[in-house]
Amino acid sequence: MPLNKWDGLRREINLGAVEASAAEALRLVEAGEDPLTIFLEGIEPCLSEIGDRFGRLEIFLPELMLSADAVKAIQVELLPMLEADGSDYMKKGRVVIGTIFGDIHDIGKNIVSVLLQVSGFEVRDLGVAVPAQDIIDSAKDFDADIIGISGLMMPSLPYMRDAISLVKENPELADRFRIFVGGGPVTREWAEMVGADGFAEDAVSAVEEATRLMKLVKGESV
Amino acid sequence: MNATTRLVDIVNRSLDGPVVEERTFDLTHVAQGVQQVVSDHGIKANPDNIVNLDDDMADRVWEAAVDLFATCGVFSKDTGRVIMFDRDEIEQIVRDAPSEVTIGEGPDERTEMSRTLDDPRPPLLMGGPIGSPTPNELFVPITRSYVQEPIVDVACAPTLTTIAGQEVRTKSPLEILAGWEEAKLTAEARHLAGRPGIGTTGIMISISDLANLSATSSGYVLPRDMHTFGIISELKTNNEIFNKLAHTVLMGGIVDPFANPIYGGLGGGVEGVAVLLTAEMIALSVVFMATCCGSSPTHPFHFHSTAPEIMRATSLSFQALARNARLLTNLTCSPVGGPGTKTVLYEAIAYAAMSTVSGASRILGPRSATGVIAAHFSGLEARLMGEAAHAATKLTREEAEAIVQTSVSKWEHLQDQQPYGLSFPEVYNVETVQPTDEWLGMYEEVKEEAIGWGLPLDS
Repeated sequence: MPLNKWDGLRREINLGAVEASAAEALRLVEAGEDPLTIFLEGIEPCLSEIGDRFGRLEIFLPELMLSADAVKAIQVELLPMLEADGSDYMKKGRVVIGTIFGDIHDIGKNIVSVLLQVSGFEVRDLGVAVPAQDIIDSAKDFDADIIGISGLMMPSLPYMRDAISLVKENPELADRFRIFVGGGPVTREWAEMVGADGFAEDAVSAVEEATRLMKLVKGESV
Repeated sequence: MNATTRLVDIVNRSLDGPVVEERTFDLTHVAQGVQQVVSDHGIKANPDNIVNLDDDMADRVWEAAVDLFATCGVFSKDTGRVIMFDRDEIEQIVRDAPSEVTIGEGPDERTEMSRTLDDPRPPLLMGGPIGSPTPNELFVPITRSYVQEPIVDVACAPTLTTIAGQEVRTKSPLEILAGWEEAKLTAEARHLAGRPGIGTTGIMISISDLANLSATSSGYVLPRDMHTFGIISELKTNNEIFNKLAHTVLMGGIVDPFANPIYGGLGGGVEGVAVLLTAEMIALSVVFMATCCGSSPTHPFHFHSTAPEIMRATSLSFQALARNARLLTNLTCSPVGGPGTKTVLYEAIAYAAMSTVSGASRILGPRSATGVIAAHFSGLEARLMGEAAHAATKLTREEAEAIVQTSVSKWEHLQDQQPYGLSFPEVYNVETVQPTDEWLGMYEEVKEEAIGWGLPLDS
C-alpha cells in the first residue's frame, strides 16, 4: 500500500522532532503542496489524533509538549507563505492563559496550554500566580480573543472573579474578550455565577470550550 | 548537622546551584530524565496487577529514582537555579531520616513508624478530608465525625469556604483570619470528641507563608501536631515553601510536606510516575527536611488517586521506598465517590489494602468526592478505610491484590461519572454527629461484601 503523502510529516510531529518536522513541511511545499493544504489535511488530523490519544492517556504531557514544539517550528516556516497568500488560517484564535494570583499549580494549566497549541490556537502562557490586572493587560497586549484562567486553590478563586469583573464591568473590554475558567474547585455553577463565558472540566474539554468561544467571537452559531 | 545548619545549606544551594530555564527543567531534567532512568533500569510494571508483586522491580524503581533525583534536583522558581545533591549525600540523608515520630499528646498520642512490606503493624490512620471545602457551620461536626472514630489515630481537618461571611482571599487579612479560625475550630472538634490530645494537621486555607506561619503560631496548634505543606509539581519549590519549612524547623514541629505527581504529566505513565513519585519522596526528605513524606498522585481528568493505573504506580513506588529506606511515608486517598455511595467505600477498601501491603506508614483521608465538592465527606468512610488497613495487615500481597482487583471492578466504570453522593447533613445527624441508618446500612453491606472477598474485617 503506498504511503500517504502526509505520513512523513505526521511521523515527525508525533515524534516531536522539531527540525525534521519543519524540514518535511518545507519539502512538501517544494514538492508542490499548498501550505494551507498542509495544515488542513496534513497537520490538523494529526493534531486531533494527538489530542484524542492524550484524552485516552495513551500519550502524556512530554509527548504533547514536543509535538507542540514541532508544529510551532512548522508554523515559523509556513506562516510567511500563508500570510503572503492572504490566508486567515492562523487566526483560529489567540488565547492568553495563566494560573491566578496566589496559586502556583502549573501542570494542569500547562496541559491545557499545550493542547490548545497543538489544536492550532496561538497561546501566550503567563505562568502561575498571575494578578488579575496582569492577565487583562497581557490579553490587551497580545490582542487575545480568549482568556483562560486556572485555579486549584480555593482562596485564590476570588482573584479569578476579580479578573472576570475587570473585563465584564469595563464597557471597553466586555465584548472584546471571552473568558473561560477551570481547575479543581471550579465548578460550572461557580463559573456561571461569576460571569465567566465558559468552563472547562478538564484539559480536553478546555480545547472544546475554547473552540466554542471562538465561534461566539466570530458570530457563528454554537 | 543540626536542623538550622542544614536549612541554611539547602537555601545556599538554591542560591548557588546551576542556572536553568524552567521549561528546560520540566522537559529535559524531569520528563526526559524520567524516560532515561526508566529505560536504563528496565522498569516495567505488570499491567495485570495493581499491587506490585515483583520485589526486583521495586528495587529497580528505587535505583532509578535515586539516579533521577541526583541528576535532576529541585528547581527553585525564585532563584532560577537547581538545588542539587549528589548520590552519596542523598543516600546519607535518607539513611539519617527519622523512622518514627510521636504525634499528639496524652492518651491520644500515637507513634508513626516506618513500615516494611508484610509488616504486621497497621499504618496510622489520619482521618479527615484534608483541605476540602466546608461551610463554617459544618466544620466542627464534620471534623468531629472523624476524630470520634476510635480507629482514627490522627486527624486532618477540612477547610473553610468563608470567614465572617466573606470568601477567603489568599495573601489578604481574610486568609490570616480564616487560618486562625480553622485552628480554633479544629481544637474545638478535638475537645467535643473527647480527644483533646489527638494529633492533627490542617489549616490548609492558609496557603500563603504569612497566613500559615500566623495560624500555626495561634496557640491552637499542639507542639506535636503536624505542619503540612505542598511542594510544586514536579520537583519545584520557592522561598514561600522554604519560609514554612524554616518556621516549622525553628518551632521544632513535625515537618510533613507532600508532593503530588500528576498522572500523564511530566512523569508520563505508570512506570514514569512510579519513579517520579519515589524521587519526590526522596526530595521531600533531602531538600524539604521531611519528618514524614506524603503524596496523593492525581488523575489529570478526574482528580482522584484511586484510578487503577495510579494505584499501580503508587504501589510500585511505595514498595521501592519500603524495601530500600526507612522513611515515614504517607498516602492520601482521594476517591471519586462521595458519602452515600458504595463507590467511595469500595475505593477506600482498595486504597487501604494497596497502601498497607505496600509499606505506607500512614494513610490519610478519604478526601471523598475528590475533595472538591463542599461538605461531601464523612467520618464513616474513614472508619472503613482504617478497618480495611488493619485487616490488610493479615494479608499477603497476593491476597491483597485479589481484593483490590475485586473492589476496583465494582467502581472502575463509574470513575468518569462523578458519583459525588450526598452532603454531610444528608448522611449524618449534624446534632448527634452520628451516621444515618441508610449510610450505616450501606457501610455494613459493603463490609460484609468485602469479608466475602477474603478481607478479614471480622477478626
